[in-house]
Amino acid sequence: MKKIVFFPLVILFFVSGTLVSAVDRGISGQSVDLLNDEVKDNDASSVSSVSDPLEPMNRVFFEVNDRLYFWVLKPIKTGYAAVVSPDIRQCFGNFFDNISSPVSLLNNLLQGRFEDAGVVLSRFLINSTLGVYGFGDAATTAFNITPRPADFGQTLGVYGFGEGIYFFWPVIGPSNIRDSVGFAADLSVHPTSFLDWNIYERAGYYMGNKINSMSLSPSVYEDVKKFSVDPYVATRQAYSEHRYDQIDKQKR
Amino acid sequence: MKATKLTCMFVWLIFCSVVLTLPVSAAKGPTETIKPVLEDLTKLLNNPALQGDASRNERRQKIMSTIKVGFDFQEMCKRVLGRTWLEIDQGEKEHFTELMTKLLENAYIGKLEDYHYKSMEYVEEKVQDDRAQVTTLVEKNDVKLPVHYILQLTPRGWMVYDINIEGVSLVRNYMEQFRSILRTDNFKGLVRIIEEKNKTFEKTSKDS
Repeated sequence: MKKIVFFPLVILFFVSGTLVSAVDRGISGQSVDLLNDEVKDNDASSVSSVSDPLEPMNRVFFEVNDRLYFWVLKPIKTGYAAVVSPDIRQCFGNFFDNISSPVSLLNNLLQGRFEDAGVVLSRFLINSTLGVYGFGDAATTAFNITPRPADFGQTLGVYGFGEGIYFFWPVIGPSNIRDSVGFAADLSVHPTSFLDWNIYERAGYYMGNKINSMSLSPSVYEDVKKFSVDPYVATRQAYSEHRYDQIDKQKR
Repeated sequence: MKATKLTCMFVWLIFCSVVLTLPVSAAKGPTETIKPVLEDLTKLLNNPALQGDASRNERRQKIMSTIKVGFDFQEMCKRVLGRTWLEIDQGEKEHFTELMTKLLENAYIGKLEDYHYKSMEYVEEKVQDDRAQVTTLVEKNDVKLPVHYILQLTPRGWMVYDINIEGVSLVRNYMEQFRSILRTDNFKGLVRIIEEKNKTFEKTSKDS
């Protein structure tokens, strides 16, 4: 038993050298140039739009998700948040994040982000031990080691794969061909995929994670609906630009 | 006579270039311009005398006048509308700017009033000709979020016309929404939709 606990700690100290430089680099070290990413001569047509040939179908799914959000997810989220304290919900959130670490680790390695992969591994080891099976985020609170998420859609993007056409999936939400392939690939390497679960148990895990994370953050969807005159286009544009940014940062 | 005319022209040219470049060279840099505006905004949002529903109108009025010192709403509208901006007359431009300012006020000021961050750092400034980018890091709940302000040098100095958070540009988002509407409706249709949207905020504020 002692050996089992000792082994992760040895690796932890081994990777700490890599870790410090990665933590120092942090988010503030990333320089973004938005001045070359401009609409030329105030001409809206110079901006390439998201390719959305399935827009009529996507808009139907957008409406389906809207109903699903207001009729099902929001009432469940509100009830859940009223019964379970924020601290406990945060612990569940940490657990879900920690268990998906192998997905981030693998994608960081595939993208050649070895320092970030070291950070993910360190966080996993710290949070699985000091953080008590991942329920606490000791890596952030005690060591100031912040997450380095990575996914397979991003990995494909880093290797030059285009986003393809836009999809709006029921339940899952905005995506595109590249990110849908990425989502499926990430699911297949997620630790829960190696458990002997049936479809209902998998769906339960996915929805549990979704409801819990919804209860912890302000509703982005409600804000988008409030601020925009066409929430479907606003979501599509924001998703596309945000994904472009996540991939572009890794290419720099 | 010819020499006198040339001298006059030369003097006039020198005079013009001095007068035209004076405000630009004397103007503050992009970060120096935006910093006091954001600081004043933070002071207003934290002012105990302006808290609560009773002071709502006074607070919003003060917030908007502070924002207008550093934010160029007309430039924002010009970029949001793109080619359509060139096709509408002055009256329509003014009406559209008013509507859009109201929409942004309705949508974002309420959000700003509830947003309490721990700290804000100015981490980077980039200048390229008459445009600039000022990057801030806003810290809340141990998370640092980069917020980029895009500015343009105007006769009034550096003015913000776009905000970019996590790669998402405010101007481009509205531009895409409006482009989609303008494809099926004309400019008047777009104006009607924004007017309707602003009415929903008035209704919500009356209900609450």
